[in-house]
Amino acid sequence: MPPGAPLRYRVTHSTTYSYEELVSIGHNEVRLEPRGTPTETCLSTELAIEPTPALRASERDYFGNPTSFFTLQEPHHRMVIVATSELEVVASPRLVAEATPAWEELCDHLRGDCSREGLRVREMTFESPLVPIASAFADYARPSFLPGRPIAEAVLDLTRRVHADFKYRPGVTSITTPVAEVLEQRIGVCQDFAQLEIACLRALGLPARYVSGYIRTSPAPGATALVGADASHAWLAVFCGDAGWVGVDPTNDLVVSDQHVTVAWGRDYGDVSPVKGVVLGGGGHTVEVAVHVEPLT
Amino acid sequence: MTRSETLRFDAEAVPGRHDELRTSSGVLRAHWDPLVRALSGMGSSELGRRWESARRLIHDNGVTYNVYGDPRGMDRPWQLDPIPLVLHAGEWDSLGAGLAQRARLLDAILADVYGPQRLLRDELIPAELVLAHPTYLRPCHGMRIPIASWLQLYAADLARAPDGQWWVLADRTQAPSGAGYALENRLVVSRTLSEAFREGRVERLAGFFARLRDTLRGLAPHHRDNPRIALLTPGPYNETYFEHAYLARYLGLSLVEGGDLTVRDRALYLKTLGGLEQVDVLMRRVDDVFCDPLSLRSDSSLGVAGLLHAVRAGNVAVANALGSGLVETPALLAFLPGLCKALLGEELMLPSVATWWCGHESALEYVEEHLEELVIKPAFPGLRMEPQFGAGLSADQRASLLARVRARPHAFVAQEQVALSTAPVWDGERVQARNLVLRGYAVATGQGDWEAMPGGLTRVSSASDSLVVSMQRGGGSKDTWVTCEQLPLPLTLLRPAGAPIELSRGGTELPSRVADNLFWLGRYMERVEGTARIARGLLARVSDESSETEAVLEALLAALSRHIGLETPPAPDEDTFLVLLFGEVSARSLRATLAAIHQLAFSLRDQISLDTWRVLSELKQDLADSDAPVPTLPEANEILNRMIVRLSAWSGLAMDSMTRTLGWRFADMGRRLERSIWTATLLGACLGETHEDEAPRLEALLEVAESAITYRRRYGGELQAVPALDLLLTDETNPRSLVFQLVALDAHVAHLPASARASRAGEERIALGALTRARIADVSELCRVEEGKRLRLSALLERTLDDLRAFSDAITQSYLSHAGVAQRIESF
Repeated sequence: MPPGAPLRYRVTHSTTYSYEELVSIGHNEVRLEPRGTPTETCLSTELAIEPTPALRASERDYFGNPTSFFTLQEPHHRMVIVATSELEVVASPRLVAEATPAWEELCDHLRGDCSREGLRVREMTFESPLVPIASAFADYARPSFLPGRPIAEAVLDLTRRVHADFKYRPGVTSITTPVAEVLEQRIGVCQDFAQLEIACLRALGLPARYVSGYIRTSPAPGATALVGADASHAWLAVFCGDAGWVGVDPTNDLVVSDQHVTVAWGRDYGDVSPVKGVVLGGGGHTVEVAVHVEPLT
Repeated sequence: MTRSETLRFDAEAVPGRHDELRTSSGVLRAHWDPLVRALSGMGSSELGRRWESARRLIHDNGVTYNVYGDPRGMDRPWQLDPIPLVLHAGEWDSLGAGLAQRARLLDAILADVYGPQRLLRDELIPAELVLAHPTYLRPCHGMRIPIASWLQLYAADLARAPDGQWWVLADRTQAPSGAGYALENRLVVSRTLSEAFREGRVERLAGFFARLRDTLRGLAPHHRDNPRIALLTPGPYNETYFEHAYLARYLGLSLVEGGDLTVRDRALYLKTLGGLEQVDVLMRRVDDVFCDPLSLRSDSSLGVAGLLHAVRAGNVAVANALGSGLVETPALLAFLPGLCKALLGEELMLPSVATWWCGHESALEYVEEHLEELVIKPAFPGLRMEPQFGAGLSADQRASLLARVRARPHAFVAQEQVALSTAPVWDGERVQARNLVLRGYAVATGQGDWEAMPGGLTRVSSASDSLVVSMQRGGGSKDTWVTCEQLPLPLTLLRPAGAPIELSRGGTELPSRVADNLFWLGRYMERVEGTARIARGLLARVSDESSETEAVLEALLAALSRHIGLETPPAPDEDTFLVLLFGEVSARSLRATLAAIHQLAFSLRDQISLDTWRVLSELKQDLADSDAPVPTLPEANEILNRMIVRLSAWSGLAMDSMTRTLGWRFADMGRRLERSIWTATLLGACLGETHEDEAPRLEALLEVAESAITYRRRYGGELQAVPALDLLLTDETNPRSLVFQLVALDAHVAHLPASARASRAGEERIALGALTRARIADVSELCRVEEGKRLRLSALLERTLDDLRAFSDAITQSYLSHAGVAQRIESF
């Protein structure tokens, strides 16, 4: 395939809840349909839900992510949500890290920016429910952020360090593990690493947002398999001035390009959790998630 | 305590403060004159006498304010001072206009911030105050708002500076509290000082609440002529729960908790016995972030999943709108003058206390230089920090406070301290000057117009030098009188003039939770009565040492132990018995049951009458604190007698004056069910085994079961098992017999609404089965003794007890269970 040609993917994300007791009513909010970006075109997307919802509505949320709200009103023991999407992804423009502005300059420039776009960027510099601002994060980030260093260079260095210093191990942390604990334990999964790096950047006053999505399941010919391919994946994007939002994946120490598929973004995991709901009844429950990202040729 | 006969308003003015009562030259302000004259004429002892009865009224009415972290915190009596704060109409007019303007302004700010955000781009509001605010609710951005108004009820805390100018200390925009307390204060004080109230031409408050009710009705997206409006409360543990119940009753709203509501088809419904009833308007006393665990804070158990979607779909209106807490941030005070000009084209009439938002470098520098004159506060909720008074801090403390501010300047504000004005407060003997803060209220009346409450909630500090005025810190409150030139028109909320009243015999709209509470109230009240009656029978015999009494004691102790849920009956000695009776021995003990009744009564405040509430609260007082010594035998007797009288008041008053709606049915079902269980237990204990001379047992049984007089009238003095059992088991005319209770249960079940569920057959079958078995029982046969035992009687009674338990489960299942507990699910 010639370089620069678009890649096509089919993404299937299925979530199955099995309840011990009957659920009488369940309200759900899901963010499973890819939002589309300048380098990603969503060709088709379909959300299949079982049992059939009594009500279903779709809209874009505050951050512009497609969001579906649905209610299951008939008693059920099992809920299955399958999202299937086809996308076309082109490689991101090559990042010239050394050409990006010095990170302090970017901070100063943003502080007074009250334009519409400036506000959207600044919104990502503040603490959010899952990403507190604390000096410990700034302290960890500091070695990468030498005075006058171009922002993208510093971010790539920080990404490399997080990848090197933190151990990927599923099952140790959960959705509720605080970022401060992740920093201390140096262990976690992609969500933890993304939020940790966001905390580091925001502690320095830099804008960083959380991105949820997927990476391809089977490695490209000649490449090694990527970590985090069997479930939904998470990384972050950093605002780098004229270079725009640059995606970096600390779990794989990569700059995000055509091996990643973006679904949604927000301040932290809480803004974009793929499936969340409140059910009445149900007792104990188990959940199974399966994700397949297949290249189409 | 001796009281001086004349009441002198001669408290010394506090230097450097505005005194509400007198001018700086010591002259009484004219608008206080009628009140001061009336109080002086009344004298201290008369005021004391009247105030005693007012305090009793407050106590009896259960006016409370829960204080967190206080051992007496739950239902602490409301602190009220008899001397109202008096303001004259002229002054009030400008205050009221200022409040109305601020409400309009804050409403316009919300509309912009949750919409186009022009104010952020024009730098009229620093972006941080919105985008970094933890309760800027992003899901509410772009939300459709009924009648284009975010606020319906607004409040502001006001303080008067030494120069006489009023300043706003804080704005309350999401669920302003205290208006109900203001109303209750008015009821109590106007009764105590009725002459002065009449002569003082005091503006009435009812009009304000009528307006509030109209405004709420006007929000209804559907059913506009008869909307259902509910008041959402966090529940009885909230500090101002009394007020929620009080306002709900006064305004005619359904008082609901999150668990009472459900969202279906993007609309909000109340779960009632008769099925789901749509709610059109929700007045909330729950902070917005807790209102919807699906779209807002997911760890909240106070809200309703899907509420925000229902709001966004335009099927329910919430007052004040979700998201409106945002503009309560004190940081906004620094920017209001500019915002007022930009948004309303007006000068801000009512100034705010001088405020510096530390997010601006120049402001921060000022704060660093003038810290000793300032108070530092968090700009956002959720930051755990008490206001820090710069003047009271050591050099080190100041340095560390400033370091904290420097680290996140946008999260802090500094404010000037206002030297609060003083008003006269009566301490029971003398009049003293205390600092005050006035909470004023305004209600939206449509088309952007607002109307201020002619009055408010005045709060006074607990000590004259206290800097903080707070109900949480033990301060008191006052009624607030606005005196006018003309005699105010009397107005009551009971019925809007001229409006035709829709006839209603309702009752099926009773929330399931309320029915559940009434059912258990009925059960617990009857349980207490059962305990008291057996215990009284025991007490009368416990010091008698004859051998036939021993057998009676044994039977009654067995009945009591089973009734209060003890595994084995204890030894029949006096001390063990008293501890058993008054100690915390089991979940069904007297003490535990009374505590449960108190809790239930508290949650049912909007459902039960004042008289009933009084009976219930007196009942709890009969039992001393658990750390008090166990009462002596004569004391115990007296306590039990008193309790039984109160319980008769309950059954007479509460049960007979309640309309025969479903609420009454559930309370009475609980009562009948418990009495059936009690009677079966007692009969089993007293008649299951026999002794040579059964007469003493029969005598005790009839006495405890309140049927001795009937027996004697029918059969004279000779005691036999068969007629006694007939009277207590199968006699359908004896309100104490088992069959009488079963007949009542059977009748209740037949009247329960059928729509809600399919399985009514369950409880109907059980009730009828138990009734039929008892009706066809052959009493002589049951009384036959084999080897000292009445096995057939025991078998029938045990079978009946099983049925009754099954009946209770079936009722709970069909009507009262909330179909499980809500839980969150989430996955990557």
